[in-house]
This record gives sequence, C-alpha cells and structure tokens, in this order.
Amino acid sequence: MESLEQEEELQKKEEELRRIRLAFLNILEDTEEAKTQAIDEKNKSLAVIKNFTDGLLVLDENNRIEIISPLVELFLNQKEEELLGKNILRLSSKKTDIKSLQEILKTGKSKDIKSISRKEIRLGENLFLEVTVSHFRSGERKGTLVILHDVSRDKLVERMKTEFVSISAHQLRTPLSAVKWTLRMILDGDVGKINEEQRDLLEKTYQSNERMIELINDLLNVSRIEEGRFLYKPEAMQLEDVVDQVLGDAEDAAKIKKIKIKVERPKSLLPLVMIDKEKMVIAVQNLVENALKYTPPGGRIAVSLEEKNKEALFKIIDNGVGIPKDQQSRIFSKFFRGSNVIKMETEGSGLGLYTAKNIIESHKGEIWFESKEGVGSTFYFTLPFNS
Amino acid sequence: MSKKVLIIEDDKFLRELLGKKLSTVGYTAILAIDGEEGLEKIKKEKPDIVLLDLILPGINGFEVLEKYKSEPGISSIPAIILSNLGQREDIEKGLKLGAKDFLVKAHFTPQEIVNKLQMVLG
Repeated sequence: MESLEQEEELQKKEEELRRIRLAFLNILEDTEEAKTQAIDEKNKSLAVIKNFTDGLLVLDENNRIEIISPLVELFLNQKEEELLGKNILRLSSKKTDIKSLQEILKTGKSKDIKSISRKEIRLGENLFLEVTVSHFRSGERKGTLVILHDVSRDKLVERMKTEFVSISAHQLRTPLSAVKWTLRMILDGDVGKINEEQRDLLEKTYQSNERMIELINDLLNVSRIEEGRFLYKPEAMQLEDVVDQVLGDAEDAAKIKKIKIKVERPKSLLPLVMIDKEKMVIAVQNLVENALKYTPPGGRIAVSLEEKNKEALFKIIDNGVGIPKDQQSRIFSKFFRGSNVIKMETEGSGLGLYTAKNIIESHKGEIWFESKEGVGSTFYFTLPFNS
Repeated sequence: MSKKVLIIEDDKFLRELLGKKLSTVGYTAILAIDGEEGLEKIKKEKPDIVLLDLILPGINGFEVLEKYKSEPGISSIPAIILSNLGQREDIEKGLKLGAKDFLVKAHFTPQEIVNKLQMVLG
C-alpha cells in the first residue's frame, strides 16, 4: 500500500516538474522574443537617425556624443569616429565656428527637463543652421537631443529678396522725385499761373505721389529690418527723448484732426535704455501714426511712460475704431490691415506694426495690445533698462 | 552778382527742373551730367556751392567729393548731397567726406532744396 501511495506522490511531483519546465520554457521564449524586439527597436531607431535629413545628435547627461546622423559629420566637418564619445563642449574645429553651437548648449542647459530652445547660428561662411535643443529623460537616463536644421538656402533667398527690394526702392524714387518736383513747381507758380480747378487736381495728384514715396520708405524699412543690420548703433539714452521727438512731429496732424494727445510720465527721468534712436523713432512713430489715423476727429489719445518690473513701459491709448476680434491674432503680420480700416479708405501699407514689432523685439523688448472694435485700442511695449 | 550753383546730376529731367528752379529764384545754375564733367566744372567755374548726386555713370558722387575736397583752391567749396540713396551708412559716409548736408531727393521739394542752399550759403 505504502509503495502505491509513494508512486502516486512521485507521479504528482513529476507532473509538477513538467509544468514548471514548460513554464520556464515559455518564459525563456518570451525573453528571447523581447530581446529580439528590443534589438529590432534599436535598429529601427538607429535607422531613423542614420537616415535623418537633418543633423541629429544624441548626448548623454555629461554631454558626450552617443549617436549622430551622417549630416553632422558634414556640418562639423569631422568624422563620426572622431566625434563619438567626445564631450561636445570640448570639441574644437578649425573650419567651423563650433563655439556658437557650444554657447547654445551651455546656456540652454536648464533644470527643466522638458525645456526646448531654438536658435539660429552661423557655423561657416555660408552655413546657417537652426538649432533645436531638447532635454529628455527615459527611465533613469537623462540626455539631450540636438537637431541641426540647414537654413542656408532660406538665408540666401532672403538676402536676394532684400537686395532686390532695396535696389528697386531706390530706383523707384528717381521718377517719383521728378513727378514731385514738377508738380510742386507748377503748384508754386514757378512756370506761370494756374486756375483753382487745375490747382485742386494737381494738389491731389501731388498727394498721391507723396503716398507712393511713403510706401517705398516703408518697404525700405522692412527690408532693412530683415537684413539684420537694423540695430546699427545702440546707445544708452532716455526713451523720453524719442517719445518727445515723435509727438512733436505729430502735433500738426493731431491739430488738423482736432485730436487731443495727453502725455503722462513720471516726475523724474526713467533709467537709460539701450536704443538705436533712428529705429526706435520709426517704431514709436508707427504706433502714434496708427492712433492718429484710426481715431475719428475730436477723439482722444493718451501716451504714458512709466517704470515697471525694472523695465520702461510705453503705453498709447486711443478711442478709435479698434481691431476686430477675429483678426487680432494677425495684427503684427506683414501687410495685414484690419477689414474695418480698409473700409474706411484710410491709407496704409500694413507694414507699420510689423516693423514696430521687429524693432522692439530686436531691442529685447516686448510689444502687445488690447483692443475692442468701436471702442479703441491700447498698445504697449517694454524695453529693458541699461544695466 | 548772383551765386553760382553747380548741379551734378545724370538724370536729364531732374537736372533741368532743378536748373530752372534755381534760375527762377536768382541763382546761376551750371549743369554737369556725370562725375568727370562735375570735377572739371568745379575747377573751371569755381561755383559757390555744389549739388551732388551719388549714383553717377563713371566716378560716383562719393569719389567726386573725395577728389575735390583734397585739392587746394577748390576744397573749401561746400557740397550738398542730393541723392535717392539715404541709408544711414550712405549718409554717414557723405558727411564724413565733407558734405554739408544729405538730402533724399524724393523727400524734398525744389523750394526746400533752395532753402537748404541758402542756409549753407548764408
């Protein structure tokens, strides 16, 4: 009897062992599959990186280069084997200005793991790259992904366009000068008397021509901003001086439209700001001209200057026609004009606010607005004080 | 005796318009169509003032200014640049070379140009 029981027991154990063995085999199979999958996945990622049409660098948390795409060799003018495992901040190169790239990596290194920064750099004479840096964390690993996007061609096209605008604007001015001078001399009576009707028509023609000249000036300003040589010579000065100059120039126009301009400023002078005066005048002028243009006769404009959060804050409030809500997001784009002001038949090129925004931002300032159609608009900008 | 103004301007119509305006207000206008002729006439005619265009066939306005400003006897003749260039770099270059003023043609009427001439001539 005993042996029978023993045999049964043994059979049970054997059965159990068989099950365990099967389970192990299954696990082993799963692991094998997972391993193959992981290798597949890695190969896939590598294939993606290797065939990437941008330059792509993966750095570990000590800024050592782990993976690169082939274009990086071309951009940095170094072979893959010379780059892998090296700390990117310690690389040096004779042919490329690698420092500009290292600067971004140094400054872009923030604690916020999700931070993404994007900047344009010039790596060689004709090599412009848009660099995107993003920090990532996968499990315990931290690292940095750097994407180098070649924008050299865009730059070239931009420069050609700018030169074209610049040259044609100058060439256009010559015949317009001839028209202006002739009409003026006739109107001034230099070539004999004219009657009232003739004077009226010629005066209107003269004004149309003036509008054309202004439009060309706007175009020139825009093309010069895009050329990047816009911030010519920033100097420390009072923002008050710029505002005074612009408001002085606007006095006549305000008087004609019977618009009152109120000016408010702190009793003592604001700290100095670094500005390129010629450009800042254009920016402030565009804001003041807009307020005057889009405020009906008898309206009110209030300009104020103040210190806020260690910055100079400029504000201009009008009770003019305002900007339709659905168009407010496009207000700073090139050639944009509100549908309500187009209907008013006011003149404008749609370049004023675009230019103003570019100028303020190239001074490291900010520009924004609040507006309600039929009620009025308020435009603000800030400029950091010269520290 | 009326003052002599030398106009160096390659555009025929602009040159004649300005010449006419200057005569109307009592100046003697002398005309030159390019830089070479301009330089010659500065030496020969000894004008009281030069109205100088910049973009000219042959030697340009900057070069005319540079040349005559370094020649004794005529270097003191004042010049006003009258051009359709007008970027800051051009203006600074012109003033550095000794021009009294820089006027963008499209921004000034003939009368305003005369006023500027009078200011320089005193």
